[in-house]
Amino acid sequence: MEPFFIVKNLWLIPGLPIGAALVITFMGSKRKSAAYGLSVACLALSAVLSFWAFSVVSGHEGISQNVDGSAEIHEDEAEADAGNVFRQTHNFTWISIGFEKIEFGWVLDPLTAVMIAMVSFVALLIFIYSGEYMKQDPRFTRFFAFLSLFTGSMLGVVISNSFLLFFIFWELVGLSSFLLIGFWYHKPSAVAASQKAFLVTRIGDFGLLIGMILLTSSAGNFLFYDEGKGCLETQALLDLLGPAAIGGLTIAGLISLLVFFGAMSKSGQVPFHVWLPDAMEGPTPVSALIHAATMVAAGVFLVARLFPLFDLDPTFVSGVSPSLSVVTWVGAITAFYAACVAVAQTDIKRILAYSTVSQLGYMMMALGVGGVAAGMFHLITHAFFKALLFLGAGSVIHGSHDEQDIRKMGGLRTLMPKTFQVYAIGMLALTGFPFLFSGFWSKEEILTTALHWPASKIPFLLGLCGAFLTAFYMSRQMIYVFHGKNRQQSGSGSIHESPGSMVIPMAVLAAFAVGLSVIGTPIWPWFEGFITGHPVPFRIGELFHLSHLALMVGSTALVFGGYFLAWKIYGSAQSLGENHPDRLSSYQPWLFGFLNRQCHVDELYQKIFVKPFFEIGQFCRTVEEKWNHSLTSIVSAVTLMISWCCRWVDDWLINPGFDYICDRSRRVAGRLSVLQNGQIQNYLRVGGLAIAFLMVIYVLGGMI
Amino acid sequence: MLEPLYQDIFKAFLPELILAGTVLFVLLFDLGWLSDAPMARRRTVAGGLSFLGCLAAFFLCFRSQLEIRLSQGMLNVDSLSLLLVSVILVLTGISILLAIESLESPHVGEFFSIILLATIGLLILVSSENMLMIFLGMELTSLSLYILTAFDKRRVQSIEAALKYFLFGGLSAAVLLFGLSLIYSTTGETDLKEVYWILIAKGPLPIGVLGMIMVIAGFGFKIAAVPFHLWAPETYEGAPAPSAAFIASVSKVAGFMVTAKFLLVGLFGMMGSAAWYLIRPGWAPILAVMAAFSMVLGNFAAIRQVGLRRLLAYSAIAHSGYMLLGIISQNSGARGALIYYVTTYAAAMIGAFAVVHLLESQRGNDRLSSLRGLFQSSPVTSLCFGVFIFSLAGIPPLAGFFGKFYLFAEALEPASGVFGLFWLVGLAVITSVVSFYYYLKVLKQVFVMEAMPDTRSFATPPFTPFILVLIASGILLLGCFPHWFTRLIEPAMKAHGF
Repeated sequence: MEPFFIVKNLWLIPGLPIGAALVITFMGSKRKSAAYGLSVACLALSAVLSFWAFSVVSGHEGISQNVDGSAEIHEDEAEADAGNVFRQTHNFTWISIGFEKIEFGWVLDPLTAVMIAMVSFVALLIFIYSGEYMKQDPRFTRFFAFLSLFTGSMLGVVISNSFLLFFIFWELVGLSSFLLIGFWYHKPSAVAASQKAFLVTRIGDFGLLIGMILLTSSAGNFLFYDEGKGCLETQALLDLLGPAAIGGLTIAGLISLLVFFGAMSKSGQVPFHVWLPDAMEGPTPVSALIHAATMVAAGVFLVARLFPLFDLDPTFVSGVSPSLSVVTWVGAITAFYAACVAVAQTDIKRILAYSTVSQLGYMMMALGVGGVAAGMFHLITHAFFKALLFLGAGSVIHGSHDEQDIRKMGGLRTLMPKTFQVYAIGMLALTGFPFLFSGFWSKEEILTTALHWPASKIPFLLGLCGAFLTAFYMSRQMIYVFHGKNRQQSGSGSIHESPGSMVIPMAVLAAFAVGLSVIGTPIWPWFEGFITGHPVPFRIGELFHLSHLALMVGSTALVFGGYFLAWKIYGSAQSLGENHPDRLSSYQPWLFGFLNRQCHVDELYQKIFVKPFFEIGQFCRTVEEKWNHSLTSIVSAVTLMISWCCRWVDDWLINPGFDYICDRSRRVAGRLSVLQNGQIQNYLRVGGLAIAFLMVIYVLGGMI
Repeated sequence: MLEPLYQDIFKAFLPELILAGTVLFVLLFDLGWLSDAPMARRRTVAGGLSFLGCLAAFFLCFRSQLEIRLSQGMLNVDSLSLLLVSVILVLTGISILLAIESLESPHVGEFFSIILLATIGLLILVSSENMLMIFLGMELTSLSLYILTAFDKRRVQSIEAALKYFLFGGLSAAVLLFGLSLIYSTTGETDLKEVYWILIAKGPLPIGVLGMIMVIAGFGFKIAAVPFHLWAPETYEGAPAPSAAFIASVSKVAGFMVTAKFLLVGLFGMMGSAAWYLIRPGWAPILAVMAAFSMVLGNFAAIRQVGLRRLLAYSAIAHSGYMLLGIISQNSGARGALIYYVTTYAAAMIGAFAVVHLLESQRGNDRLSSLRGLFQSSPVTSLCFGVFIFSLAGIPPLAGFFGKFYLFAEALEPASGVFGLFWLVGLAVITSVVSFYYYLKVLKQVFVMEAMPDTRSFATPPFTPFILVLIASGILLLGCFPHWFTRLIEPAMKAHGF
């Protein structure tokens, strides 16, 4: 079938923001409104295109033709046959050397469609919000250039159909996150955080790179989907099952574990989570973007994209592939661990950061136990409410003059009523308040599938504990920030509500945090059908299925327990305050301190990794100074001696007239540098630009 | 493919070898035996030897029937390349003869040997069909030309011009080499004929397109086409007159021929089309845009110049624009017209620069106002100058007129459609009308204006007027009897099938 127009031009979706980034970079720092307008306009255009692509996918016949019932048949087929998924690609050759060629391309399938729609839309709202938030910053235009590059790279990751192109955009995401986290580079902590983020993710990228090389070399194709020849298609996958690699793993298992390293580092899974909380040093809109739409979602998306590879089960019996078990366990441990740590944090953004790590653990766990649909649904719903929470936190910080310590806040419910309302919606969605909020349904789906996981029930239990802790720490935060009296020393008089351009994006996000629940309830799991390509009917009875109902009641009870406990501990006014120790820490000072220090993971890493490398560096330096130095001084002494001889020969044997001419030309050159300096640079610049100009002519020639 | 015989290699390289031998001879004579001789004698001997070397090589090549293609097109000797080699040698010979009396530097032997080295590079450029050899030839030429530009090392302008020329040339050489390597990476071949077939088989690849554009940029520098022309006015202004003449004429002949060869042999599959009713991406539309800009910018900027050298420089840019027509046109006859045009243009340019030198040596500068009343003080020189300028302007019955006519007519020839390049040829005609203004402004100073009362008489060296008359009569004769030259071009073109 001839690909749709939008498929061929899918590159425009990342291309527009990246183009905007380039233009803004060259625009100069004075033209703030132009930079803002351009980046928002380009992203809005990408968002429109994304929704167009989304509508093409969702309106496709393969999805809609079989809606008339017969759900059972499709249920059975769901495991064996995924042929109904709408998937169109546009591939082209990037480089070919001799008969080897490297191909690029993009793919439009439900996974891509839902991601581009989410990323571009959420990012658009964050852009609008940032226009107000960053208004005072002198490097405003630079900020929007980076922001556009960041979003564009993420969109590129999502649409790539070539592993190499995917990797390029993946690294661009890393680069732009580095630029943005360290945006306030005058703060040493921001610089350190940006380096940490870059290095930690780079460790995982190393695994990803090896995995990519292994996969593409054994499949002989860089493309994911290439009409049966791609490296994620049946033929290539079956070939991968054959040869065994180290430790009883198949080559497919090895590749997927290596790739998972990359996903872990990008998505902040234990033990690579350390960069995510530190990344809070960046401006708050950046945190929102990283945590909701772009960076961390990339890791989850990677697993989802390569899911056919992860899902390969060498035994064909147990139904649980070794790689997916690893994914599940890592996810479950991350979900629980991060929730624990979040309980003892006092920085408003750090609490949210740990909650992101925890939620990412849920997503990974969902991918491991339940497949792409469950994980992606939580990714999408989480993107909306987490963006909302971060923007809300930004609004709080903005309104209370860059205060981030929740112990110094309080009483903002009356001072910032709109922020309070939307923040409350975000918090209820995150904690999974029953029925009304999208977070509830996505969390329920994950827990349900985890309950039915054949290998072990422990991930399920960890998930339940995580849900309880989430309710607890979010309530704790809400109480600290919005309840009681304001505790800021400068007084509450100057605290103000944020302006409309900050509140409106949050309101839109809040609407989605509620509204998205429509597409993922067990009654009508449209989203699951959309991702898997198997249409699902409307089944009201599913809700009252016993297992569903029991689980729902149980987890809801836990969530309410969390709310209640938090209220019990922190609800009374005197328990709050900067000078009072946290109630929890007075119960369990050691545990609280331990969690507050993030279980000393940073210190551990410092001891295990940083220190030895530092020692090695020191050692090399000593060697360099002691040994090499003496060696070089001998060499240099000999050289000096030789050169003295040469100089003597030169001075007395070679015609001194040569020196005279040199002297003359040097004087000429001296005068020359005074004459017309700065012109040839311009000439060369024009020469360079001219090449770009010729390129434009070539492209224009193709358009006429 | 058969291993080439060493005899073949020797035969194919013989013109270059002769020139290389001449270089050694010149250096030996000049620095060895004549180092204490008076300047005039050194110049005569060194220049005469160089001229003889060119002459020998010329007689070897002219109307020779040799056909040799060394492996991978390293050197491709056929009737076309031999014709171009002959043209280059003739023009070099004339430049050398003029330099005998106009050279001011004490480094006589070096000057002539570097001119000959540059010529070797040019010969390689026109007779190789291999990307590596073309690049080597390009570098040999360019490096020699940088030195030639800086030859008046006591004069700041000369050094400055050379530095700018060098920097710009270095950039474009880098770009060219990058482009060549990209083309190589797509095709895996350095032989232009093989490159052609592989590119046809593969279709246009983005990386190949990038390579093509970079190659165009590299050659665009050589032929001083907008937007790679920035070096030209400064270099023409600052270089010693004999060097400037060489750069503006002989080097341009080879530059155009190698550009045409590279694009039409190697990258013919990426030509595209610049016809107004059918624009297809490729190098043709790119060159068309460059040509249009060159014509407009060159001609209009020339109007504003007060110095003769800069005026000639901008008019040279405009001429590059016209000559690009010969490459853009899909009609292969236009290539023949291009050879005719570039040759006659180069001859006129050499002559004009000789007059510029006379003017500078007598009046101290090259301002147009210094030309006032030249006709009264030096009628022969003035008449020859008139012929050169009229030929550049394209006035019948001079060679420049026929060159323009031939080129424009061939460019319009409906080879694949009706008047596809009409827009560009129309622009060329309109801008060449503009060019009459500044050419006539120059001639008005010479023939109409009265001399300033205090100007001294205009003394010319003994030998130069003869050469000027020779060139001028050549231009006049080729204008009246163009088939003397086209008769040589057409069979060569047919044999080559360009």
